Amino acid sequence: MTTITVAPSGEVIYLDPGETVLGGLYKAGYAYTIGCRRGGCGICKVDLISGAVDYTVTVADTVLSPTERTTGTCLSCRAVPTEDVTIAMRGEELRLINPLLRSINERARQRAEALKASTAGVSTP
Amino acid sequence: MGIMRMGYAHVRVTDLEQAKHHYANTMGLYETLNQDGKVYYKGWDEWDHHSVVIEEGGVGVVKFGFKVEKAEDIDVIEAKAKTFGVTTERMSAGENPEVSDGLRIFTPSEHVLEVYHAQTLIGVETGTHNPEAFPRHLVGIGVPALDHALILAEDVRLMERMFVELFGYFPTERVQTDLNDDDAHFIASWLTNNNQIHQIAVLEGEQGKLHHFAFKLGDWNDVGRAAEIMVMDDVPIDIGPTRHGITRGQTVYFFDPAGNRNEVFAGGYPAYPDRPLTKWTPDALGRGIFYHAREMNERFTTVYT
Repeated sequence: MTTITVAPSGEVIYLDPGETVLGGLYKAGYAYTIGCRRGGCGICKVDLISGAVDYTVTVADTVLSPTERTTGTCLSCRAVPTEDVTIAMRGEELRLINPLLRSINERARQRAEALKASTAGVSTP
Repeated sequence: MGIMRMGYAHVRVTDLEQAKHHYANTMGLYETLNQDGKVYYKGWDEWDHHSVVIEEGGVGVVKFGFKVEKAEDIDVIEAKAKTFGVTTERMSAGENPEVSDGLRIFTPSEHVLEVYHAQTLIGVETGTHNPEAFPRHLVGIGVPALDHALILAEDVRLMERMFVELFGYFPTERVQTDLNDDDAHFIASWLTNNNQIHQIAVLEGEQGKLHHFAFKLGDWNDVGRAAEIMVMDDVPIDIGPTRHGITRGQTVYFFDPAGNRNEVFAGGYPAYPDRPLTKWTPDALGRGIFYHAREMNERFTTVYT
C-alpha cells in the first residue's frame, strides 16, 4: 500500500497499486487544476516533497524535463508513487469536491493499515 | 482557386499504440499507411490518402498540410511568401508519402505549413457510383473528415495578415480589444477562403503550439453521440457538448492519449468574403468560446501541446 500525504494539511490518501497521483486524489474526492490528464500539457504538476514516483508510460521531455524529474517536480497525471509520497500543490489548495469519496478512501486506508498491522511479524512459509 | 482546404494535421504522440487505438477505434479513421514510425489516416468521406499523421516521440504539432487546386498555385503562393517575408523551401514529391511536391512555409508563429497540389487518390468509402449515404460499419465516432485547427502565436495580427496575403484567406470572426481595428490588439482570428466558417484559427499564446485540431461532424446529434463514445472509451473531455458563440459551431473538446486536444465540430454558418466581420471583445469572450457556460474554463488558454 502506498499513500499520498498532502502538505501542508497532512491529508493522507490511500492509493491502489499502479494508481497515479491524480487518479488517487480524484478518487478520494479531491480536485485541483488539471488539463489533458494525458501527460501532454503539464498543467497538473505538483511538488514532490518526499518519496519517489515512477512514470509507467512515456512522458515527453518537453512536458517534464530530465531536470524536473530529479528536482522534485511531479507530473501528477502520469506519476505512480513507488513508496509513500508527500506532495504540495502549486499555487492553490486541494479542494474537496466529493466528501463521500473521501470517506470511502479513508475506510480503505484504515482497512489496509489494519491488514498490514495484523500481518506484521507473521513469517510466510 | 488556390488553397482548397487544410489537408492534413501531423502531430506527435508519446505512445503510438495508444494513439492508434484512439484515432482508429474512437475517432473511426481509416489507417492508410504505417511506415517509418508514422501512421497515416483518412476519414470515410475523404478521398485523398491521408488527413491525419501521428508520429511517436513528444507531443504537439509537427506541421499542417494545405492543398491547392493546381500546381501553378504553389508558384503564386511562393511569390507572395517572398513579398510577405517568410522563410520557405521547396519540398519534393515523396518527402511525405503519397504527397506531391510543394512549398514548405516557416511561419512567424514557428509553425510549419506544407502547401501541396496532389495526394494519392484513394476515394471516399461510399464510392462515387450511386453511393449510399454513409458506410454502414463505421467504427466509434466515425468522423467523416478533418475540419480545421487552432494554433497559438505571439502575434495574431501578423499571422492573420500572413494567411490573408499568402493564402487569400479572409477573417470571419475576430477577438480584439477595441472595435476599431487600428486601435485594437488582436487576440484571436478565424480564417477561411470559402464557405467553411474557418480552416485555421490563431489564438494569442506560445509560439509553435497546437491548441487543437478538429474533425467535422454533421449536427448536434452527432456531437452528442461522439461525446458518449468518448465516455465509453474513457477519453478525457475538456468541455462539451456545447456551442461556440464564435462560428456558432457545436463542439466537444477532448484529448488524445498524448494530451493533444482534439475537437469534433458541427455546424457553423456559411462564410462569405463580403459578409461583415464578426468582432468579439474580451468582456464577452466567455460567451464567444463557450456559449452556454458563458465563461472560459481555465484550460482554454493554459492547456495546449
